[in-house]
Amino acid sequence: MELDEEYDVLLRDVCIRAAKSRISSNDTDDVRIIQAVQALDDIDRNVNELSERLLEWYGAYFPELELTGEALASFVTSFGSRANVPAGHPLHEKASGSMGAEISFADEELLRTFASNLCSLYDTRRHIESYIVTGMGSLAPNLSDIAGALLGARLISMAGSLQKLASFPSSTVQVIGAHRALFKHLRSNTPSPKHGIIYNNIIIKNAPWWQRGKLARAFASKISLAARTDLYSGKKNPSIRESMEKKLNAIRAANPSPPKRESKPTGKPGPKGRGRNRKGGRR
Amino acid sequence: MPVEELSDGIFNLSIDDRQMLATRNLMPGISVYGERLIVEDDVEYRQWDPSRSKLGAMVLRNFEIPLTYDSTVLYLGAASGTTVSHVSDILRDGLVYAVEFSPRTMRDLLQLCDQRPNIIPILADANKPQSYAHIVEKVDVIFQDVAQPNQAEIAAVNSKYFLEENGHLMLSIKSRSIDTVASPKKIFKDEVRKLESGFDVEFEVLQRKELEPFHEDHLGVLARMFVDHEEKE
Repeated sequence: MELDEEYDVLLRDVCIRAAKSRISSNDTDDVRIIQAVQALDDIDRNVNELSERLLEWYGAYFPELELTGEALASFVTSFGSRANVPAGHPLHEKASGSMGAEISFADEELLRTFASNLCSLYDTRRHIESYIVTGMGSLAPNLSDIAGALLGARLISMAGSLQKLASFPSSTVQVIGAHRALFKHLRSNTPSPKHGIIYNNIIIKNAPWWQRGKLARAFASKISLAARTDLYSGKKNPSIRESMEKKLNAIRAANPSPPKRESKPTGKPGPKGRGRNRKGGRR
Repeated sequence: MPVEELSDGIFNLSIDDRQMLATRNLMPGISVYGERLIVEDDVEYRQWDPSRSKLGAMVLRNFEIPLTYDSTVLYLGAASGTTVSHVSDILRDGLVYAVEFSPRTMRDLLQLCDQRPNIIPILADANKPQSYAHIVEKVDVIFQDVAQPNQAEIAAVNSKYFLEENGHLMLSIKSRSIDTVASPKKIFKDEVRKLESGFDVEFEVLQRKELEPFHEDHLGVLARMFVDHEEKE
């Protein structure tokens, strides 16, 4: 009996240690970057909401002020009441002739604190962004090179880990972030999405519409290649970028002008259930 | 304040005409997840919220709880340990093996384990009992709250490995995790039938009741592993 108890104590101890060490080994570089990306999203969401509020609130005192976002926040932080805008300031005229209400001291203090907190959130956001860029440089140099640090980090975050991103087929990488369109495509007869989050790269974003699908496919395949190189070798390999440029240029050269749209069937409606006409639902 | 012991280690307190489920606190003074602590006759009780715990709801739905002071329990789907802490209260001289798959929730569970000497944490997938077969011994009771689509199968496989002959299995079946659209009644019927005859271990279902109003579309099941001695020979 005594022996048993000793065994249980030991077993518990070992199990706790094993679980703890497995949890701490879970904490890899990509986990930290994923957290940073998610923090970035949280900040964006909140910053938008708060600066919206500041605009509404401060607008009562200075409606002519046409600043938004960070510019507004830093204006309120440094001046507070519009009466404080100095003579040389470009907004001085607007400030003195404003139809806004008089601001009380208590309100001014409150708004200033509010705005300065907002400013520091903008600062934090920049800080996190540069953290991601640095972190991605060492975690995934090739991916950063191909897709850009922020998009690369976002891809890792959406995939769950660098390992997962590397193990995805590139057709999956191509549509990461297009879940709704993808599942709608699988459920009903909507056309398949051409691109998910990778749309945010200028390669796709600035491309003319008829090249986008082809470019997205090539781009996604190079992203996969880069992620795999990063996972297994960790060294930067400039040839990936070169071959990507070549491939992209070849696509651009081969598709210089928009394809002719198929002539619309006259009179009779076309076969039902296929194509662009049946895109219903939320977008 | 009247205290009534419903079954081993599980109490019903009446405070100002209101009934409150509670267990006796194994670690007096420590509240695990912000629950109320009540001292009566030098004994400290912890409030047990049935809407946060399937097992607590099963107690209030009059299940025969097969736990005693010295049971050993295999708990599948321990999560952050809300219910596990009450099980640990009940098993004053027993042991609970708490299996949880997610490292994130395991983090919370480990803090509980550090406080309580009768919980053994296992970071593993309940689908793969082989992966913790070297840790867990035969247990008296398996409690399962995993919310996976193959719940009955997980229960059967683990029972085969770890449940003592005639040991008890308690599980909560969440119909939505099996099929989001089919009718819960039908899912419950199917799952119970699977338990009774779908696997090479068989169970005798002793009690089955839905856990409303504490948990929506959940079925509580109490079963005993049925050992067919004739077939063995």
